[in-house]
Amino acid sequence: MSVIGPQAQAQVAVPPRVGPLEGGSRLEWVLMHVAFLAVTIFFLAPFVWLFTASFDAQAQAYIRWPAQPTFGNFTGIFERYSFATALGNSVFVAVSTMLLTVVVVSLAGYSLSRIELRQKTWITYAVLLLQTMPLSATMVPIYGLARELGLRNSYLGLILVHSAIELPFLVWLMKGFFDSVPRHLEEASWLDGRGKLRALFEIVLPVARPGIAVAAGLSFLSAWAEVLMVLILVDQQSMKTIPLAFYETFRTAGGYTEVQYGLVAAMGVLYVLPVMAVFFATRRLMVRGLMGSTRGL
Amino acid sequence: MGKVEYDDVWKQFPTRDAPAVRGLTLDIADGEFLVLLGPSGCGKTTALRMLAGLEHPDRGDIRIDGGSVISLEPKDRDVALVFQSYALYPHMSVRDNIQYPLRVQKLGAAERGSKVEGVADLLRIRHLLPRRPAQLSGGEQQRVALARAIVREPRVFLMDEPLSNLDELKALQQQLGVTTIFVTHDQAEAMTMADRIAVLDAGQLQQLGAPDTIYQRPANLFVAQFIGSPPMNIVDATRDRDTLVLAGRWRVDAPRGIDGRDGLKVGLRPEAIELDLTAVSGAQPAEVLVSEPLGSEVIVNVKLGDALLKVRTAPEVRPDPGTRVFLRARPDALRVFDVSSGAALN
Repeated sequence: MSVIGPQAQAQVAVPPRVGPLEGGSRLEWVLMHVAFLAVTIFFLAPFVWLFTASFDAQAQAYIRWPAQPTFGNFTGIFERYSFATALGNSVFVAVSTMLLTVVVVSLAGYSLSRIELRQKTWITYAVLLLQTMPLSATMVPIYGLARELGLRNSYLGLILVHSAIELPFLVWLMKGFFDSVPRHLEEASWLDGRGKLRALFEIVLPVARPGIAVAAGLSFLSAWAEVLMVLILVDQQSMKTIPLAFYETFRTAGGYTEVQYGLVAAMGVLYVLPVMAVFFATRRLMVRGLMGSTRGL
Repeated sequence: MGKVEYDDVWKQFPTRDAPAVRGLTLDIADGEFLVLLGPSGCGKTTALRMLAGLEHPDRGDIRIDGGSVISLEPKDRDVALVFQSYALYPHMSVRDNIQYPLRVQKLGAAERGSKVEGVADLLRIRHLLPRRPAQLSGGEQQRVALARAIVREPRVFLMDEPLSNLDELKALQQQLGVTTIFVTHDQAEAMTMADRIAVLDAGQLQQLGAPDTIYQRPANLFVAQFIGSPPMNIVDATRDRDTLVLAGRWRVDAPRGIDGRDGLKVGLRPEAIELDLTAVSGAQPAEVLVSEPLGSEVIVNVKLGDALLKVRTAPEVRPDPGTRVFLRARPDALRVFDVSSGAALN
């Protein structure tokens, strides 16, 4: 039988089965599974609590099956804590941030990948340097800047700041993607009669689609989950986003002593679900993007 | 229409020491199939890319049909380029790839459809139209890339080392009658397809001519040694009145017009030497090192003084190593070169 060949390689590629009969003792097998189980429980427990507590009228700070399953918590956050406003703000800010970020990082990444600039290496490193700065270090200047420019309690302020947070990293990411798109593709498009901008939109961007999906996903997630800048920039009820509403619900619905866990959990579920939905809808593109592949489009 | 002129074109890349293209002057007639031939790094691809508008020359002018194209964007030059990598758009079907330039020209759907199908029939790729480039073999991708170039009916076709197996390309080009500039390092490919070959080395045009001329009458030592497989035998020579004395004291008649006495090299194609197994009057004796049978012919390596010559013989002539053989040069096939300049003297 041939040892080297596609079939042999395929067999090698399959991870070795861990079972009591192959390699290792039965004890090893048991210990390994116990360890897996422990880790799984540790990471899943908060989510299990979130979902059980959200349907529980008397939710507690530990996991328990709801005695009387109810939607009361969900209706409560909409009726008493104007969750609809927060949800709307969050969606609007996160989607706008995503759109702005994708446009900016696509153009910046393409320029850094393709255009011959003096000191290009230094520019690229300077961009990365920005990413290394802790966000909290910029709190005070951003507050001052936003106040002076009238960007507090405004969508524009939130969108600009949220975009800026992820820009440096995503510019690098997109530069890497554009580097992997052969230049011949856009040159072919120019020769076929297209101008440079149209060629970018018709040929290069579609080929770099996995990269754009990653940039879109990460910028959306970042803006969706961001708390610190929202705390600094927003103090009006009408402008609050979900993280702020979350925090306020926790504080006002019983403070730290008599927390109404059911309301908090319901809000948590509605905070998590859209993100999970987006991830599952785009997971194949995202995974391909995170693997850095533009092949086989 | 598609007459192309390079007029003293220079190009230097900032990252390289020597210019990639030096003073290239070249006229290509309308409908001609011209091959730019040379080793890798000789500037042939740069010359092609300058015509396409993908590189800008530092000096000189490039004209198509008499009009300078130097200041035109690639999109306005009306030339089609088949890339070495084919550069098919991976996110489009074969049909969309081929009709892409037609969309750019804003042709209607019906006209696009008929043109795409016409060219697909010409290249026998109609069955591939719904597929994506990733689903095609290399040869099929090549045909699609050609189709995308042909469908536009450009003034000039440019081809940058598309992989071989282009048996029908020459016939196709003659049928379409479009000026074609084909870049390759493969001299056999160049010989079979070109109307004329332009041989480049180190950014400079070495010789421009029909394949036979390039082969039979190389302009200098570089061309002599680059063209032909096995390449031309080059041996040192001195002149003694009307004869040239080669290695091993082999005396051959000197062609007319050779003035110098020393510093000469003589070039002899492997088939320009006749090999006899028995003594012939006037023939030069030599010793066989090895015979390389190639099926339709045999390349016999013989030792002549301290030089090694390759001689092409019929398949049945296959002398053993150490055999004494007798060589005669065909006088009309002799090329004499000046050692210092490398230029041919006759």
